Amino acid sequence: MRFRDYFKDRIYSLVIFIVLLAAAVLLMRAYRLEAEAVAAVAVIFAIFYVSELLIDFFRKKKFYDTLVDNTDNLDKKYLVPETIISPGFYEGRILESVLRDTGKSMADNVNVYRQGAENFKEYVEMWIHEIKLPISSMTLILHNSHDKNDRMLAQVRRINNLIEQILYYVRSENAEKDYIIDECSLARIVGAVAVRNKDDILENNIDFQVSDVDVTVYTDAKWLEFMLNQILSNSIKYKDDNKDTSVIRISAVQDKKSIELRIYDNGIGISGSDLPRVFDKSFTGENGRRYSKATGMGLYIVKKMCDKMGHDIYIESAIGEYTEVKMTFYKNDFYNVTKM
Amino acid sequence: MKRICIVEDDKSISGELKELLDNSGYEAVVLEDFGNACEGILAAEADLVLLDINIPHMNGELLLKQLRTRSEVPVIMVTSRDSEADEVLSMSYGADDYVTKPYNPTILLLRINAIFKRLDSGHGSNGTIVFRNMQIFPQKGVIRYSSGREILLTKNEMTIFMYLLSNKDRIVSRDELMTELWNNQEYLNDNALTVNISRLRAHFKEAGFEDIIETRKGQGYILIG
Repeated sequence: MRFRDYFKDRIYSLVIFIVLLAAAVLLMRAYRLEAEAVAAVAVIFAIFYVSELLIDFFRKKKFYDTLVDNTDNLDKKYLVPETIISPGFYEGRILESVLRDTGKSMADNVNVYRQGAENFKEYVEMWIHEIKLPISSMTLILHNSHDKNDRMLAQVRRINNLIEQILYYVRSENAEKDYIIDECSLARIVGAVAVRNKDDILENNIDFQVSDVDVTVYTDAKWLEFMLNQILSNSIKYKDDNKDTSVIRISAVQDKKSIELRIYDNGIGISGSDLPRVFDKSFTGENGRRYSKATGMGLYIVKKMCDKMGHDIYIESAIGEYTEVKMTFYKNDFYNVTKM
Repeated sequence: MKRICIVEDDKSISGELKELLDNSGYEAVVLEDFGNACEGILAAEADLVLLDINIPHMNGELLLKQLRTRSEVPVIMVTSRDSEADEVLSMSYGADDYVTKPYNPTILLLRINAIFKRLDSGHGSNGTIVFRNMQIFPQKGVIRYSSGREILLTKNEMTIFMYLLSNKDRIVSRDELMTELWNNQEYLNDNALTVNISRLRAHFKEAGFEDIIETRKGQGYILIG
């Protein structure tokens, strides 16, 4: 709070003061008071005016400066009413009470939406668990039937993958921590994802190679399984039919501080203009449009969870040649210390 | 014959599961009364329990806890809730394995098979298996004939042979063999599987067992015991 601005705001009081003082001086002169006495009265009035102005300024300055400072420094500015220390002047108390009321009302309002989102998430999760029952049933029926229908089973797998995507989307949107970071065997997770995609890989005649994944990483096994599944199903989906042999190669490279998991395929690749945007929400790109099977959500969720769990991910690609996804897991010293 | 108790309230799933297990050489019993689930499971005298987490009256995890105070029967938790937290909780209550719905039926059978294999290997034997007049050392990948002659199998050949052996006299589909191999982190393609089987046959032919692995057209292979 600057005095100049404060004073500008109160310029009217100075005008009134000067007018009244002039009137008083004229009046006193009319009654023929001594010049000294008139001057003394004028000084007394002036002292009153200035001191009133300064006292009022400093009282308010203290309150408003703290308020502005707190607002500037707070990460969540809406919490500022909580920081107010009740001021000694009336207007301040009005402001305080209004701020508290609006804050509370906004919190209530936000709660309505939070509750709504929470309910929706709960319902979606429950619904997904429910729909998995008929899917399980269908898988078993198809498996048990004598003329095992591979084409139908492939479609059921597709349904299941899409349902899993929405489950993990809902989970990743949730502010709460929904994952457990622990020591996990990369070979086991890669194995689980490979087995899940086995039929699609074999039916598409893809040469599937895995090497050097016998390492442990710190991650959530279920989440990593989901993420790898998204990446691998992209590799399968975007294979290049013009090439004689399709290859998917999964490998891990280890150095002192990190482990890098690489998922390479010699598929159709991603164009240079699409590449920077593949992790954007709902981005489908040229490939997604041409093959019209993309939701644009898979890689978005993958990237988001990588950020949350502290893994790095990036993609290299050349159109018509290859795509390689690289995921970096950092070795966390903290875990090693607690384990000792 | 091993008896497996199915604890699952979805009638369609439990029915299909029973058919799957019955067809795969097990005797499946479906638990009907969930009001007294623990007693029911114990009364079934099963060798293994497939336990669903979402069952009426009681949470499957609590049921498992209750069951564990009275029995050490192997339990595979089957659930549509798949989060790391659920799995950790189930394992801490004493589940032997954890499978999420919808599961690949072949994988479920492999998991069941794995638990039984683990239990059997616990009883004495040093890992060698006798079949016809040969001794098999799965760990070393060696088969020794009564003549003293030894043949060396690759890891993949041994995996295929062991799977055929544990399903002896039953037709094993190529898909099952493939799943078993992939489950063991050997990612073969169709041609490689065919090559491995013909090599396996060639080994046995050399040793004088020509008829040991038969092909059933359109169905798979069968090991004649």
